[in-house]
Parts: sequence; C-alpha cells; structure tokens
Amino acid sequence: MGSALVKTILGVSLLSVLLAAQEPPGKKSPSITMTPLPLTPVTRGKANTVELQFHVSSGFHVNSNKPSAEYLIPTALKLEPPTDIMIGGITYPEGQEMSFAFAPNEKLSVYSGEFDVAVMVRPLASVLPSDYEIHGQLRYQACDNAACYPPKQLPVRFQVKVVKAPPAPHKNPAQSPHIHN
Amino acid sequence: MVVSLMLVFGFNMARKTKNNSVPGPQAKGDAAPDFTLQSLDGKNTRLSDFRGQAVLLNFWATWCAPCKIEMPWFVELQKQYGSQGLQIVGVAMDDASPKDIADFAKEMGVNYPVLLGKESVGDAYGGVQFLPENFYIDRNGKLVARAFGLKSRSEIEDDIKAIIASKAVPK
Repeated sequence: MGSALVKTILGVSLLSVLLAAQEPPGKKSPSITMTPLPLTPVTRGKANTVELQFHVSSGFHVNSNKPSAEYLIPTALKLEPPTDIMIGGITYPEGQEMSFAFAPNEKLSVYSGEFDVAVMVRPLASVLPSDYEIHGQLRYQACDNAACYPPKQLPVRFQVKVVKAPPAPHKNPAQSPHIHN
Repeated sequence: MVVSLMLVFGFNMARKTKNNSVPGPQAKGDAAPDFTLQSLDGKNTRLSDFRGQAVLLNFWATWCAPCKIEMPWFVELQKQYGSQGLQIVGVAMDDASPKDIADFAKEMGVNYPVLLGKESVGDAYGGVQFLPENFYIDRNGKLVARAFGLKSRSEIEDDIKAIIASKAVPK
C-alpha cells in the first residue's frame, strides 16, 4: 500500500512537471540549421560545386527561393567570400507545393525537412593553396500550418581547401614514321 | 524530497515567459492596451477612438500567407457586421514600405483602417511572435477573445458575434 502510494505520487508529480513545461500547441519557434560541411577541396582556376545542406525544424516550412507570390519572403543565401575566391552562382532546389487546410486552392512553394543549396566556388588561378573560410547568411521566413514567424537570418560558414589544378597530361611530340639511325 | 524538487522545477518552467516578453492581455475582461499608430493615410489613430464599437484588432504582415487567406474574410465580415458596430482594425507588422503595404491592402480590397505597426505596440500585446494574431475587443475596450494563427471563417465569425453582443457602458 505504501509503495503504491509512493508510485502514485511520483507519477502525478512527473505528469505535472511535463504538463507545466509544455509549450502551447504548435507555438515552438521555427529554425533552420546547416549540416556542418567538412573541409572541401576546390581547384583554383576552376568552377567547383559545394553542396550546403540545410534542415528546417519539424512542423515548419520556409518559402522556397521562388515563392508563389510577390510579397512572400524567399529563402536566399548571400555569401561574402575572401578576395579572389568568386561565387559563380547559387542553385536552389525546386520548392514543394503545399496549401493550408482552410484554403486548399492557395498553393505555396516551400522547403521543409532537408534541402540542399549548390554553391559554385571559383578560386582564381593565382590564389595560394590553403584553407579558406567562406561565410554569409541564409535569410528565411518560416511558417507552420496556421501561423508565420518573422524573417530570420542563419549565419553560414564553411571551409574550402584551395588546391592546385593537376598538371595537364603531357602530349608526346609527333613521331616520324621513318626509322632514324 | 525528489517529489518536491520535481514540483518546484515544473512550476518554475510554467512561470517562465518566452523571451522575457510581456504577456499582453490574456484573460477575458483584461483591458486592451491603448496605443496610437499612424494610418496609411497619415492620420494618428488611437485604439480608444473606436470605443463604443466592437473591435477586431488584427496583427498581420504582407509576408504572412495565412494573413492573406483571412483578409478577404475580414472584408466580407466588415461589410456584413459593420452596421452592427463591428470595426476591424489591421496593424501591419512589416518591414515593407507604407506604399507597399497600401498597395497590398488595396489589392486585397481592404475596407477597414490599416495602421503601421510598431514593436512597442506588439510588445504591449504579448510580443506578437507570429502572425496572424487577432484580439477581439468589446465596446468597452475589454478583451473578449484572442486567436493565434489562422482560424476558420466560422470561428472568426463566432468571435465577432460575441464582441458585437457586448453593450457599451456609459462613461
């Protein structure tokens, strides 16, 4: 009887702790995180593609880079590379189409879960081979299925290892068909 | 001892307010904080200017897709219940320019005042951490209901009927 009472008290206490600590339903804050990128080799003088992987927190989505309406804030990456390392272009994935339950005909173009952004990194041929850090910001604006949150910026940082281009293969000089003694 | 510690921990977690924000009007009967904001046509407008009317105070932004879904409903409901004392007031919590907000409101056919929001007013209403947030205020400036996020048209209409039913207390 005594141990049953103790178990009941512990159970009720645990339940009250859990209930007291709960956020209002659907009202936790959205976030995007970036999967840390290992040091990535990039060849100087060439265009190299670096894939950055982002993850939208569960229960939320963000507008794609090409949202369905003019006023919606697109997800957009802005990078500030070191001198002589050019960012050739940033390629975003296609958004998924989704609609709200109360307005099934209104389609939005969004990212949810994981999405990859490809960055073209082109160090000039004169760049010294070394490790370099590229940083910037991912701007996004997230919603859940009933509400939207103000736009945010995620700091983005990744390292590249600039390497020399491999030497061009030697072409043998033209061989004379005649045997020379 | 363990039970006591768990209870103390749980109650402290429940009391913690998010981001140290002011809770804003929470319960039915709380006074809706008065404020002065500029309307799209440049006039200083106070919430208390609408005392005697039933006010639906709508916090929104041009970047908020669910806000865009409920706006046409607001336009219809303002037409339907305006003669019974409903006054919808939009507060734009936007980085967009007043011209962009005005163009957006015109495009949506908005037939009620739109005010240019400020962080201090958002803070007075609990921080407005997401949009839309709607506060239903009776004819005496008291909170009747609040709604966070997009609700159905019928839920919105029910809350409007509740504030219209309120009677203004003579001053």
